[in-house]
Amino acid sequence: MKAQSVTKAKRKRPRGWFTVLEVSSPVLAVLFAMLVASIALLAIGKNPLQVYGTMVAFCLGRADSVVNILYKATPLIFAGIAVAIGFRASLFNIGVEGQYAIGATCAAIVGFSLKGLPALVHLPLTILAGMLGGALWALVPIWLKVKRGVHEVITTIMLNHTAYLLVHYLIAGPFMDKTQVIGAGGAGSPRVRMPEILASARMPELRGFLESLGISMPQHSSVNWFLVLGLLAAVLYWYFIWRTPLGLEVRAVGHNPKAAEAAGIPPGAVALKAFLLSGAVAGLVGLSDLLGYFGYFDIDFPKGYGFTGIAVALVGRNGALGIVLASLLFGFLSRGGLGVQVLERVPMETYYILQGLIILCIVIATDVLRRYMRAQEKREEAAADV
Amino acid sequence: MFSAEMLASAIRLAVPIIITGCGAIYSERSGVVNIGLEGMMIAGAFAGAAGTVFWGPYVGILVGMAAGVALALVHAVASINFRVDQIVSGTAINILAYGLVRFSAISIFRMATTTPHVDSLPKVTIPGLAAIPWLRPIFANLSPLVLVAFLLVPFSWWLLYRTVYGLRLRSVGEHPLAAETLGVDVYLMKYAGVLTSGALAGLAGAYLSVEHTGMYVEGMTQGLGFISLAAMIFGNWMPAGAMWAGLLFGFAQALSLRLVAGTIPYQFIRMIPYLLTIVVLAGWVRRTRPPATVGQPYERGEAL
Repeated sequence: MKAQSVTKAKRKRPRGWFTVLEVSSPVLAVLFAMLVASIALLAIGKNPLQVYGTMVAFCLGRADSVVNILYKATPLIFAGIAVAIGFRASLFNIGVEGQYAIGATCAAIVGFSLKGLPALVHLPLTILAGMLGGALWALVPIWLKVKRGVHEVITTIMLNHTAYLLVHYLIAGPFMDKTQVIGAGGAGSPRVRMPEILASARMPELRGFLESLGISMPQHSSVNWFLVLGLLAAVLYWYFIWRTPLGLEVRAVGHNPKAAEAAGIPPGAVALKAFLLSGAVAGLVGLSDLLGYFGYFDIDFPKGYGFTGIAVALVGRNGALGIVLASLLFGFLSRGGLGVQVLERVPMETYYILQGLIILCIVIATDVLRRYMRAQEKREEAAADV
Repeated sequence: MFSAEMLASAIRLAVPIIITGCGAIYSERSGVVNIGLEGMMIAGAFAGAAGTVFWGPYVGILVGMAAGVALALVHAVASINFRVDQIVSGTAINILAYGLVRFSAISIFRMATTTPHVDSLPKVTIPGLAAIPWLRPIFANLSPLVLVAFLLVPFSWWLLYRTVYGLRLRSVGEHPLAAETLGVDVYLMKYAGVLTSGALAGLAGAYLSVEHTGMYVEGMTQGLGFISLAAMIFGNWMPAGAMWAGLLFGFAQALSLRLVAGTIPYQFIRMIPYLLTIVVLAGWVRRTRPPATVGQPYERGEAL
């Protein structure tokens, strides 16, 4: 009787409505986070509506903003995928931050030191070095997790700090470009940076390709082929999770490690592979900036993509398309933060406030939705029983 | 190298770890992982210094604690009422704290990364012990918060292991359903645990800015919130254990400050506390036992 009523309830359940809720809940959560962030704006005497209005106008009303959002979204796609691979296996990779610092450093070293290679060999080699660096930095925490049962969160955070120090040592020590000085004529103090990455390891901009398609580009644009690689990575990520045996194992272990083990899937080995893959993708995060824009590695290399990647994966619900859209959202907020700083005199740190609030609102929305759906199911079950 | 000055420096550096580590015990014993301690320390450091600029150190330190409590409240609502992943919520708190502090620093002081210099609390000297010449560096001219930290350890032990309140708090982390069956308000105890950890992390942050450095500087916590968590784990979720672990970390930091003049590049020396944390967590030194349900959300009446 019971089983029969459940199947009946299943048939009657409004699937479409749940899907609408599930898809719209991240959007609602983002809007709610913006509402909460308004408190900070009101506290400094700004009109939130005007600030957000300026943000939208600045981001969407100018071609250079649109291109810049694409550029800012590029590293976030990789960061979001890296975090999402971890989440899928029930692992929390807060270490993307350190992994991409090490990855970018390895890529920079290969990029400036291997001379005389054609771009077709040098560029892939440089990208591979970045991935290897990221995976290497992910090895210690996952090994400790699998072998010693140490939760990966604190070890990866400690390794983030260690990575910054190691990178700092490498820039200021063995790999410092001694010819670089601040100020013209070589009279100034030394600049702490690595040598210029060779042209054969640089990632070309998308400008030429887009202009050949008839799209007119703004004067300043640094969006490069890593954007295309990022989209490709998202497709590959989707394929990996849903169409490969390891992807299935990752989902099984992430869903219920004990059941997975009972089904003959070794959770430790799967966690190890997933985390190393996450680290390898994390190694790509900094490369758009490194090989597509700066062309050298220095102390002011952008930080924080790893943490934004957590927000991206959560907003994107670990889905490939969701991650791409969430990356665009955070690219938009980052660009918008800059816009309101210049135009409205609102500190651009609003971006980080929003980031924290969006993460909170997303996970809370997930819980509210889960409760609502469960209550709804119970109600239907009860109705079906009658 | 192992002089009284060195020991005094180790104690000063251990204080924020001991205070935050003790705070973390309250939260974890009630079953809630609080990885947002780092952000609560940052908020406490900034709010403590900012409060001191306007109202002096006594009020300032209370403002720092209030900032920690405010962020802890967010963590409590998210992780207790909405039962979200406590690690995710804590990470959000850390990002939020970073943003809020920079936002406030720019809005109040027109500087993103520092506050003006501030006065600290009047220093205290322990009579008797400070009269012994070679112990003088350890017991003379102390921040009163050093004493608070070392009094907090026995007090926390007493509160957690010798009072009804402590028994209830621990029971909620070990077996919430059993506790609820016996009439303990599980959510209330979890709230108490999380808010206490926030207040103490805020206090530790205020100690760093007002007492230790004399101003707020961005990045001054340097992962101390996470190191405090590690100290608590190493200390087996016991106040005295957290204190000894905190002293170990303080000693490692004091050592790293003194080794700078040597031949090893300073970046490697500054890695010591972080690598020590990993070694400690790996359990190569000792095995520990966490509260049974730490990190798991509890739903009222779920199993009923």
